[in-house]
Amino acid sequence: MEIPYEVTPRRDTGLYNAKLGVWLFLASEVMLFGGLFSAYVFLRMGVQPGVDNPWPWGVSVHKNFVWLGAINTIVLIASSVGVVFAWVALKERNWRRYQIYMYFVVACAVIFMCIKSVEYNSKLTKHHGIKLVDNSVMEGVIKDKTDQVRFSGDKLTFSLQGAVPAVLSDFTDESFPAFKVTEGPEELVGNEIKSASEFKSWFAKGRRLAFEKLTEERKRYRGELASGKGNPTPVSVSSSVTLVSSAPFAVSGNPRKLIGHNETTMNYRDAVRVEGKLVSDDVMFEVHEVDLQLVVPTKQPESIVWSVINDKEAKKHFFDLKEKKYNELIAYYEKHGGVVPEAQLRGRYLNVQYVHVAAEGHGEEHGEAKHGEVHASEPKESAGGGESEGHHGPSRVIQVPRDQIKFMSNHGPRYGTYYAIYFTMTALHGLHVVGGALVLLFFAVFGKKLYLKNPEHLANRVEVGGLFWHFVDLIWIFLFPIMYLL
Amino acid sequence: MADASHDLSKTKKSYAAVGIALLVFTVVTVTIGLAPIFDMGPPGPDAMDFVLGLSVAAVKASLVALIFMHLNHEKGLIYKILLFTFLFFLGLMILTIFADTDPILEQFETLKTTRGWLMDKPR
Repeated sequence: MEIPYEVTPRRDTGLYNAKLGVWLFLASEVMLFGGLFSAYVFLRMGVQPGVDNPWPWGVSVHKNFVWLGAINTIVLIASSVGVVFAWVALKERNWRRYQIYMYFVVACAVIFMCIKSVEYNSKLTKHHGIKLVDNSVMEGVIKDKTDQVRFSGDKLTFSLQGAVPAVLSDFTDESFPAFKVTEGPEELVGNEIKSASEFKSWFAKGRRLAFEKLTEERKRYRGELASGKGNPTPVSVSSSVTLVSSAPFAVSGNPRKLIGHNETTMNYRDAVRVEGKLVSDDVMFEVHEVDLQLVVPTKQPESIVWSVINDKEAKKHFFDLKEKKYNELIAYYEKHGGVVPEAQLRGRYLNVQYVHVAAEGHGEEHGEAKHGEVHASEPKESAGGGESEGHHGPSRVIQVPRDQIKFMSNHGPRYGTYYAIYFTMTALHGLHVVGGALVLLFFAVFGKKLYLKNPEHLANRVEVGGLFWHFVDLIWIFLFPIMYLL
Repeated sequence: MADASHDLSKTKKSYAAVGIALLVFTVVTVTIGLAPIFDMGPPGPDAMDFVLGLSVAAVKASLVALIFMHLNHEKGLIYKILLFTFLFFLGLMILTIFADTDPILEQFETLKTTRGWLMDKPR
């Protein structure tokens, strides 16, 4: 079937159909991204200094990411140029050159997505934040998965209902602990469980058993009710079981799955109780910067964060930097008139500073000499240590007591509105990159037949695919400054 | 035909020029973002920094739209479509004025509070 106006323009529109179609599509895409840009403005302007989770502006937070973003901008621009040159090559009827340009464009898209994944990975696994109970925030890295509660258990109590207990995936020992059922339905008491798969099949068996008992009980209840002998005995089936292990087993309790824990028990959200002994629930944290935006300035010197960090030098450094920047602000406002606005006083500029916790004191394995060596060999390793104050090198890992922590997270979407809109917009943009690259790749690989039949038709297709590609580039041109620089 | 190929080589030159301009503007964007000298107004981000940063982005975007997307010589119908797109987009951006108002306390003072939207005002 011949579709009309693929090459020749329609007389009434003056366009070939695909072009009109893609422009209508791009018009709707502008709406889609426009709504998100609008949401960005709302979220950013809605942040109340000192009240809401602060907006991490500018290069101070994203120093490592600015360059990734800039490289990505250049990669996308190069790919846009590649698309138009591929189109010109088709117009010149040069198939070989067309293909080279198209593969170049697709390669650019791949590079873009690779850099993006480096960035996502870094945000999700290498940057963490801990908010303490007085709302002071430490930015840095949680070491060795110590956000999890390390527990040595010997007894599990749970109900034979619902899904397999989540605690199964939290066992950290290499071998599965050998369990013996000590309490529960009499058919199960004495059962021995030696592996995870055995546990699962045993659990399914137990669940079926409990359900059968419940059905039986209900039948009995209805029978008693029907016989009309006053009040029937209520339905009561216990599906609770207790498993005891022969030797203590190690559990790393994922805090998202836990309701709470204390010295002897750990309670999961799916109603599993682990009894035993708490090994440690302290979070080991490498501090890069301290954020006191949510602490009233007069309370900042007594903030809990300083007792947690426990380093007089680091504290002094923070307030020195703050004072220096405050003087800058004062100088500016003296020169230009007016008083320093509240938003500035409470904002990120004054209240977020790099903090380097020196190795002296507690961290024995990080002696002073070692610190010097690390300092010399990898001065830029620390994620936050970009400030020119000379405090480079990794900070000493500090111990954060869990009862002082209000919230901790990686820099994922849940960490704040900035991260939420960042991931929403860049991920949607990334999907567009993938989609566009697939279309262009298709034209490059499978275009030869059409090229031999009617090269102008293929040129039009490439032009239309290119229009979409340029649009994706155009969105990135705006995303880059608003997400990374401003 | 000779004329057409001449046109194409001209087009190629303009594409290359725009590509280079875009790279240059990217460097400008990063410089504006990183160098303290381009921090307009008081230290820290404020309206003027946004105006500066987004202006450069707008120049880049219009280069892409005009040259790469051929909007400098396009048929009237597409401009008509884009006019509506632009109006809706403008609407979405105008909506954000409400981000700066309190709909309960300030409903009769919208003008007063939004007057300073380009200036840096204490909150």
